[in-house]
Amino acid sequence: MAVSVAKQGYHLGHGEVDDHHDTVIYNETRDMRLLGFVLFLCADVILFSSFIFAYIYLRTTVSPVWPPIMDGKQLPRLDVAFACFNSVVLFGSGVTMHFAMEGWRHAKRGMFNLFMGLTIVLGAGFLAGQGYEYMHAKIGGWSGSIFGASFFTLTGMHGFHVFVGVCYLIVLWWQTSRSVYTTDRYFGLTAGTLYWHFVDVIWVALFFLFYLW
Amino acid sequence: MATLAPGVKTGPYHAVLDHIHPEPTSFIRRYIFSIDAKVIGIQYMITGGLFFLIAGLLAEIIRAQLMSPTGAVVTPATYNAIYSMHGSAMVWMVIIPLVSGAFGNFVMPLQIGARDVAFPWLNLAAFWMFPVAGIILFSSFLVGAPDAGWTEYPPISLQGPPGTSLWCIAIFLVGVSSTLTGINFAVTMLKMRAPGMTFTRMPLFVWAQLATSPLLFVATTALGAALAALFIERTFGVPFYDPAHGGSPVLWQHMFWFYSHPAVYIMILPVFGIISEVLPTFSKKPIFGYKMVAFSTVSIALLGFTVWAHHMFTSGMVPWLQLPFMILTMLIAIPTGVKIFSWMATLWGGSIDWKTPMLFATAFLITFTCGGLTGFFLAAVPADYHEHGSYFVVAHFHYVLYGGSVMGLFAGFYYWWPKITGKMYNETLGQLHFWITFIAFNGTFMPMHWLGLMGMPRRVAIYDPQYTFWNQFASISSFILALSMLIFLYNMLIWTFRHGKPAGPNPWGGRTLEWMISSPPPYYNYKKIPAVLAAPYDFGNPLPYIGLDAAPGAVEATPTAESHPVPTH
Amino acid sequence: MAQRVVKPKTNLGPGFWPITALIVVVSAIMIYFTATSPWPVGLIPAGEPAPATDSLFRFLGCVAAFIFNVVVIYTIYFGIVFRRPKDAPPHHIGVQIHDAPVLEFWWTVIPTILIIILAIFSVKIWDDLQNTQGDVLTVEAIGYQFGFQFRYPKLANVVSGELHLPVNTPTTVQITSRDVIHGFWLPEFRVKADMVPGLITTIRITPLQTGTFRIVCSEFCGVAHGAMHGTVVVQSQADFAKWFKAQGATGTSATGGAAGAAVAVSSGSASAGQALFQSKCTACHSTGEFSQKIVGPGLGHIFNDPAHPKLVNGAAPTPANVAKLIHDGYTGDIGTMPSATVNAINNTDIANLTAYLVSLSKK
Repeated sequence: MAVSVAKQGYHLGHGEVDDHHDTVIYNETRDMRLLGFVLFLCADVILFSSFIFAYIYLRTTVSPVWPPIMDGKQLPRLDVAFACFNSVVLFGSGVTMHFAMEGWRHAKRGMFNLFMGLTIVLGAGFLAGQGYEYMHAKIGGWSGSIFGASFFTLTGMHGFHVFVGVCYLIVLWWQTSRSVYTTDRYFGLTAGTLYWHFVDVIWVALFFLFYLW
Repeated sequence: MATLAPGVKTGPYHAVLDHIHPEPTSFIRRYIFSIDAKVIGIQYMITGGLFFLIAGLLAEIIRAQLMSPTGAVVTPATYNAIYSMHGSAMVWMVIIPLVSGAFGNFVMPLQIGARDVAFPWLNLAAFWMFPVAGIILFSSFLVGAPDAGWTEYPPISLQGPPGTSLWCIAIFLVGVSSTLTGINFAVTMLKMRAPGMTFTRMPLFVWAQLATSPLLFVATTALGAALAALFIERTFGVPFYDPAHGGSPVLWQHMFWFYSHPAVYIMILPVFGIISEVLPTFSKKPIFGYKMVAFSTVSIALLGFTVWAHHMFTSGMVPWLQLPFMILTMLIAIPTGVKIFSWMATLWGGSIDWKTPMLFATAFLITFTCGGLTGFFLAAVPADYHEHGSYFVVAHFHYVLYGGSVMGLFAGFYYWWPKITGKMYNETLGQLHFWITFIAFNGTFMPMHWLGLMGMPRRVAIYDPQYTFWNQFASISSFILALSMLIFLYNMLIWTFRHGKPAGPNPWGGRTLEWMISSPPPYYNYKKIPAVLAAPYDFGNPLPYIGLDAAPGAVEATPTAESHPVPTH
Repeated sequence: MAQRVVKPKTNLGPGFWPITALIVVVSAIMIYFTATSPWPVGLIPAGEPAPATDSLFRFLGCVAAFIFNVVVIYTIYFGIVFRRPKDAPPHHIGVQIHDAPVLEFWWTVIPTILIIILAIFSVKIWDDLQNTQGDVLTVEAIGYQFGFQFRYPKLANVVSGELHLPVNTPTTVQITSRDVIHGFWLPEFRVKADMVPGLITTIRITPLQTGTFRIVCSEFCGVAHGAMHGTVVVQSQADFAKWFKAQGATGTSATGGAAGAAVAVSSGSASAGQALFQSKCTACHSTGEFSQKIVGPGLGHIFNDPAHPKLVNGAAPTPANVAKLIHDGYTGDIGTMPSATVNAINNTDIANLTAYLVSLSKK
């Protein structure tokens, strides 16, 4: 079969071969995989942007008031205070992720493990917080109004992405314990970091759109 | 001559090309779950071709119904499902997969001197989503097929038959396939070109695929969002589009058309690339205005994102918004015109060999121009107030989709069939297919311009008797068009394999890389990755490529210890 | 490798200039006929904005004809004149020219200028349409599955199934829908707007001649979309005033029959009823068995179907009850059957229709 470039790079990146020629190969495949992953994130941005457009359109053009009226009464706004707290949790996990990668790059395993663990815990904590928010938000449920429709759909998609991200980080952490990555070959960790920061950036937008605006 | 000049950029990708893994031996790994882009390309051709025949049959039922103003071939309810499925299948299960998945997979890696695409396993996964999605789509006939057109506007699509939900799932799935393919192709073309193949030495087919790939992964996700919202509204009552629950039908139109307008550029840009390959090869001269053609291709792809609301001029959108969309839509005519004139200038002064691919490519110039001109009629808002929702629109898009995409695909099939199969098709049958197609196509769709302007709406199972004559004319022409497909199928699928002469590596005397190796190509494409020294289409120059029949001292890829003995070329 | 260079006198190919002249002549002829024809031929311009839109069509047509000729004629000409000669050696190639910047400049600039001109013309007509005075008369148009209803705001309780308009009067039509998206298209006026539930869209027209014109539903709306038509009746100011007054006086369609007056069923004419059935009822009803549904059931045995002993409203199937059902209309699960007012039929029409249905059941 014709060469499978990414697979080749995967083997190389997993410390299976070690010489200069293979470093060149690794760097090239890493660049390809990085580009592919970035393009995937671009597509994901469009997915969120489409629903964000729908929310903005419904809120500004269709509904006469916001929050909209359901069953004759205007719905309440969402609770900003709790969401602030939960946002700090999520953004904090972005900070800890950054430090985890710093630790990795400087071969400080202890630092990496501590901050990676914190990132996963904070990510899971954010999901728990969202669960709490879903139970306590009194905006008529998912199908009650366009408020619920846009809020639960968008934050639900985001929460699903966070969930996948937490799982991905757990898998990556486990892989580091099996010495899959080295201090100069760690594309999987790069992808994980990028994905985690992407999830953070989306939340910035959603927090602004649903809680502050 | 056989070495890279000092300082010539080798391009980003060389070291990884060394490896040639052994070819798999089991039937399943060779032909069913293959990661060879060429096999995947053929699989797309077979699947897309099959869906084309089904969707074409649906079209013939439409035309049979419209033979009479009070047609009773099918009930109106069935008719609505048939034209909706015809449109949905043709757009998502035929044209998009054929132009991207089929030709993009088979031809593009060959043309950039690569062994495969960047992510072959992703390619395999993306392909298999396609027949599954098609089966889901067609299975909707069993539960009540979607019946509100390929555009499925709410509120009527919210009340539609259960098949509408299957339609959402099927199109979403094939959209995921498209998105992954777009990412795969983009990385391939940006990172895996052979040494020396700078952007200005890329064949224009590759430029076209490169311009199309962001459309595939950016636009398609927008459609995914719209489909997901429609699905959850139908299934769980989550209000986005139903005005009775605070939603907006116009929101669907914005979300749908934001994808579906770039989608039409997905359907035509790779075909522009095919034309740019066929015309130089059969005129034996370079494409005229290579840089402007490449630049126009990219401009059209970008501008294509900005014009979606020209499908919504009568929808109730705020009037002032109509103006920028009208102007931007008209602007797209400029790069398109540049390409048409460049192609015509490619014919000028040529040594033209009128083989079947050339006939289709040249006829494309005429029929696509027709479609483009009627597009301009639709872009002018006051004219669109009359034309929207009428048979004028049906005429326009069939001219660009059949007269454009399908004729271009025929050109591509005839052109690359010898490379894919290793055998020549029957040229006489090809020419016969061409002439019948060209005449019958115009007979089918030209009258529809008139029908539309005279007041015949689209998506109707019955019509006012004043339109009878031209509907019958169109229907009979369409039956002839359908029959002409039989000639094509017989020629390509039966005659070629029974009687076709061996094609050899380069039956047409082409100048792009795929013609430098055997037909069909070996599974590894290039034994030694070529280094590219000059632009394609330079028929006046000596062979510009090295590495294939490398002279001593030339830049060569070195097999590593891991690779098995490489078969002789 | 030998290169063949084209060396005709003008260096552009044999016959290039004559072909160019041909393109100019053919274009001039086509432009002349396009500019001076009523366009679209055969579809009368019944009122504004048709004349303005038709002038835009003619202009677009002229430019399109020219570009079409340039592309088609040159392409065919090049294709013939630059064929490879039959006796050409295998390495015979064409002129190895890559580009010609000056030519490319002009073939970009000239179409750009043409497009700018077309855009300016289109914008001007668009602007005229937006700013058209249309408020002398305002009518509401409501689409439903599968017909059109019109309300005149000054006659709040009158609903008409036909759009009556006085000639030469700028009219605003405010458009919406009761159920799904429909299209409100007046081909003879060259204008349409979607009928969107939850939204009001607007068109402005000024009828310029009296007569009867079509309304066509132009947006897919369900199973009887193809049968969804309406009528615009443009009358003289005096006739319109009479019709308008009659609406207000009786509160029903001016074609006669006060609300509630008994329908003289027995005096109906089946043949007149048959003609009326064809034009008003076949969109939704067949004359076959009950099960031969289009939208509503087949009416062939409405009076003597043992499987269906009651009408849809629960009444017994007598001619009087059927006449009342036609008069009142009915709204149910599958849609709305328009009332007599909306259908613009009077009591005589109802009697005729009933007589026709009676004759069907007797067969």
